[in-house]
Amino acid sequence: VNVQIETQGTAVVVKPSGRLDFAAASAFQAQMDEVLSGSGQPPAAVVIDGAGMEYISSAGLRVFLVAARAAKMTNTQFVVCGLTASVREVFEVSGFDRIVTLKATITDALSALERPAN
Amino acid sequence: MMMISLVEELALLTIEDDGSLAPTADSVGFRFCMIGACLIELNQLGRIDVDLEAIHVLSREPVGHAALDLVLQQLHTESPQPATAQIRRLSAFSDDLIDLAIGSLVQRGIIDQQEKRFLWVLKTRRYPVIDGKEQTEAKLRILSLLLSDDLPTPHDSVLIGLADAGGVLEGFLSGTEIARLQDRLQQIGSLDLIARCVEKAIQAERELMGQISLIRTF
Repeated sequence: VNVQIETQGTAVVVKPSGRLDFAAASAFQAQMDEVLSGSGQPPAAVVIDGAGMEYISSAGLRVFLVAARAAKMTNTQFVVCGLTASVREVFEVSGFDRIVTLKATITDALSALERPAN
Repeated sequence: MMMISLVEELALLTIEDDGSLAPTADSVGFRFCMIGACLIELNQLGRIDVDLEAIHVLSREPVGHAALDLVLQQLHTESPQPATAQIRRLSAFSDDLIDLAIGSLVQRGIIDQQEKRFLWVLKTRRYPVIDGKEQTEAKLRILSLLLSDDLPTPHDSVLIGLADAGGVLEGFLSGTEIARLQDRLQQIGSLDLIARCVEKAIQAERELMGQISLIRTF
């Protein structure tokens, strides 16, 4: 899996592309750990734009649970967006839509983020 | 000491205070859960991967855990098959898996194995927990997650989901409590494709049993 990481406002946007299977899961997990730890200063929000993700297996899905859990522990908002129909089906079948906010597009995801209080 | 595996933890949770196995250990649901637990661990160890279509065997190399290696050997590889079909087929080995998991717990000094005779003839086997630390710790972890809004680790999510599907929670939670916690169980249990397939396989099996008993009635 190829991963692009960029910052949009207060959010870190992670864009994985390709197949997220067992072979790719540990490298993606390491990247997510790095993003979520933010070198000691966790980001306010992390958005995973899954538009380029063609496939996800059970092993790939586990990365999302570990990441969502880590985000919750540091009060980092965590949103997943742009999933293709087949990947979204995997999220729904395994119940991830109950613990992770899913949005159709990156624009929807960024607008759904709560603004930090002044 | 090596960490307790999912399959061992599920077996440990079926051991009652007097050392007997809870009746649920003999149920179809629990048998399917033991297969699911092995598949989940084989997935974590990189021997298989699973998607909505099938279980894909990535490597046949033994992992050094008797129960997991038994399941790995028995997986069909000629053509990948759906997880639910494999779970139902593999349930033929569930008695062996329960024995292996219990044997491993005995070997690790977590439970004891005692044989007694009832009325001098009938042999009964008990597995009293030795200091109860691992069993209590597993129950507390489950309860603390069910009563909070924390997200579970992947291990705890499948432990909760499989313990619920296999009737294991009934050993330490009342029916009323389980009913009250249903939304939370649905939310954090079985956040895993394999665990969902186990639930589907149990449901299909129960429907089949229902149909069979209906046919017998008429």
